[in-house]
Amino acid sequence: MIGLLKKIFLVDLFQGLFVTFRNQNPKYIYTEQYPAERPKVAERYRGAPRLNNNPENGETLCISCNLCALACPENLIVVTSERNEQTKRKDLTDFTYDLSRCMFCGLCEDACPVDALELTQDFELASYTRDGMIWDRQMLEEGPKPTQYKC
Amino acid sequence: MPDTFLDSTELILNMGPQHPSTHGVLRVILKLDGEKILGTDCVIGYLHRGVEKIAENRTYTQFNPYVDRMDYVAAVSNGLGYCLAVEKLLNVQAPPRAQVVRVILTELNRIASHLLWLGTHALDIGAITPVFYCFREREEALKIFEQYCGARLTTHAFRIGGLQYETYEGFERDVKEFCEMFPPKVDEYEELLTNNRIWAGRLKGVGILNGDDCKEYGVTGPVLRAAGVKWDLRKAQPYSGYEQYDFEIPTRENGDTYDRYIVRMQEMRQSVRIMEQAVEGIPAGPIMGKVGKVIKPPVGEAYVSIEAPKGELGYYVVSDGSTQPYRVRVRPPSYINLQALDKMVRGALIADVVAVIGTLDIVLGEVDR
Amino acid sequence: MADEQKPGGSEAPSPPAGEGAKPPAKPAADAAKPPPPKPAAPPKPPATMAATPWDSALARSVKERFGDGILATSTYLGQDFVVTKPDSAMPVLEYLKLDADFDYLVDITAVDWPKRAERFDLVYIVYSFPHNQRVRIKVQIADGFEPRTATGVHLTANWLEREVFDMFGIRFAGHPDLRRILMPEDWQGYPLRKDYGILQQDVRWVQENLGIESGQ
Repeated sequence: MIGLLKKIFLVDLFQGLFVTFRNQNPKYIYTEQYPAERPKVAERYRGAPRLNNNPENGETLCISCNLCALACPENLIVVTSERNEQTKRKDLTDFTYDLSRCMFCGLCEDACPVDALELTQDFELASYTRDGMIWDRQMLEEGPKPTQYKC
Repeated sequence: MPDTFLDSTELILNMGPQHPSTHGVLRVILKLDGEKILGTDCVIGYLHRGVEKIAENRTYTQFNPYVDRMDYVAAVSNGLGYCLAVEKLLNVQAPPRAQVVRVILTELNRIASHLLWLGTHALDIGAITPVFYCFREREEALKIFEQYCGARLTTHAFRIGGLQYETYEGFERDVKEFCEMFPPKVDEYEELLTNNRIWAGRLKGVGILNGDDCKEYGVTGPVLRAAGVKWDLRKAQPYSGYEQYDFEIPTRENGDTYDRYIVRMQEMRQSVRIMEQAVEGIPAGPIMGKVGKVIKPPVGEAYVSIEAPKGELGYYVVSDGSTQPYRVRVRPPSYINLQALDKMVRGALIADVVAVIGTLDIVLGEVDR
Repeated sequence: MADEQKPGGSEAPSPPAGEGAKPPAKPAADAAKPPPPKPAAPPKPPATMAATPWDSALARSVKERFGDGILATSTYLGQDFVVTKPDSAMPVLEYLKLDADFDYLVDITAVDWPKRAERFDLVYIVYSFPHNQRVRIKVQIADGFEPRTATGVHLTANWLEREVFDMFGIRFAGHPDLRRILMPEDWQGYPLRKDYGILQQDVRWVQENLGIESGQ
């Protein structure tokens, strides 16, 4: 008898729906509204490379020691420099980083003795062309500029 | 032609390489008599990237990130095995603090790997719900990896001689929270599956591999333990300080797919136990052992293996005294376990192949290297 | 890996002119890389691996039983290995399995030493569940020598030997199904031999099967 009543009043269904509605609580919602809402990645996230400048005078921190290029398993970093006769040091002329072959292992970052090269939290690295994945010094210093969508 | 019409003829069926239940690009050629399997032939190599060849052309340090890409759902274990092998050649040991952190991350990775296995295996069998739950919890583990080393899957967490990264602030808290949160979730999965009639019906008595066959085929890991062989490298030949922790090796007797499921579920609980013990006493101290900037082991060779989530993962490294390894051989558990597929499915039905491939927990990145 | 190696490759777009220095620089770096291990390595290794003799009941019983077949029993970094003559490897493996409980064949692999007369080291790793012990059996074989298959002793040797054949071109006599396993079946060359460059490929195979000029 009770079983029949349960069937008539769809008790099972409501029990199931209760579970569903219980999980409707906004604090259980995991979906990110991606382009509008950007996820926050971890502080140590290994994303786009950046060549840091000295914040005081805007000069590059890179000392052209080439250690990052040697550390890279994929040989994708090329550092070019010329010797400055006055300071007797090497000045960075160009720095290319082939992002299309990078596996973000972080070895270049570890190798850098002056914290000039750094893998940052930027993760939007898509490009329309293959050439666009080869970053030069300017691009590395400025960082990627992904389109920001406003919703 | 009524005679030939009723004659059963053998049928060759191609399963994969693009088949959702082969977990990657595995192609299995099945010889069938109706639904019954007369024989199989695995065609592998679609994901062959020549990792062992790459190793010979990189320095020891440079090769480290590549090992993450073999078993990409258990990258931390791969890294641990490689680092231990080179450390053995160098005859150094990671400092205690590094060892404990390594244990925590490896066990966390074991859980993440088993969760991925559980979710996809259940999905193959037809239970759709667990995959969402599993990924929800796996996400928590991956978040800890991301916080710790900046990557979720291809972690490159360890370096030869120790660790590169100091634990982040709140690492212990996060691990403890995970340990607290996780066991009830395992109960939840078990509630969904263990006594589920469909689940048991699909798994019990399917793909039986007994202990002797396991040894004959070199099968290790949960598959071996489900066949009643109490063997785990963490106990048999402890590495990275596993001898300090109190945990059990779950075993079962029948060696069928259901038992392998139970063993893996219990392994996750044991991993939580290990992590709870490890996180209580992370010793202070350095995280990097005494290795030079340039890693140059003396001439020699060493074979070091660890208990990866899938079985015995071994590295046989030969050094010629230069900065590049002369030869790195990976003993991949998935590759060797996959070989037993033929034995396990012969005489079974097509639908069982899906269950057996799922239960072997293969990762094609590791099979093909 | 490398997309950049072939300047004339159809796939890789040449970088902007401003970065002209880059493509030549890298192939040079890569090309310079493979040689070092070769000239530096082969002369020394056999001589200088600081292995010490391995003396135990097992080592003695193996020696006693096979006599001249065993060239050395050594240990290095706490890992024991037996060096045997090519023909004795299989009897030793069988003996270890049947009489000494080494019931688990962990791995079969090879190492290529191109400068040596016996070019390959064939390595068998066995493990004993009852004794919790690992032993390696090493055999030096010449190119073209066909060692006996281990499939009769351990079933797991099947795929392991296929992989060794695939990567090194060592043919195992009596193997039931000796085909390539990881590489395509009609691929030319054995990739893990030291004289097979890292950028080398079977151009004919790539062109015929993939319809592209080059896989690099």
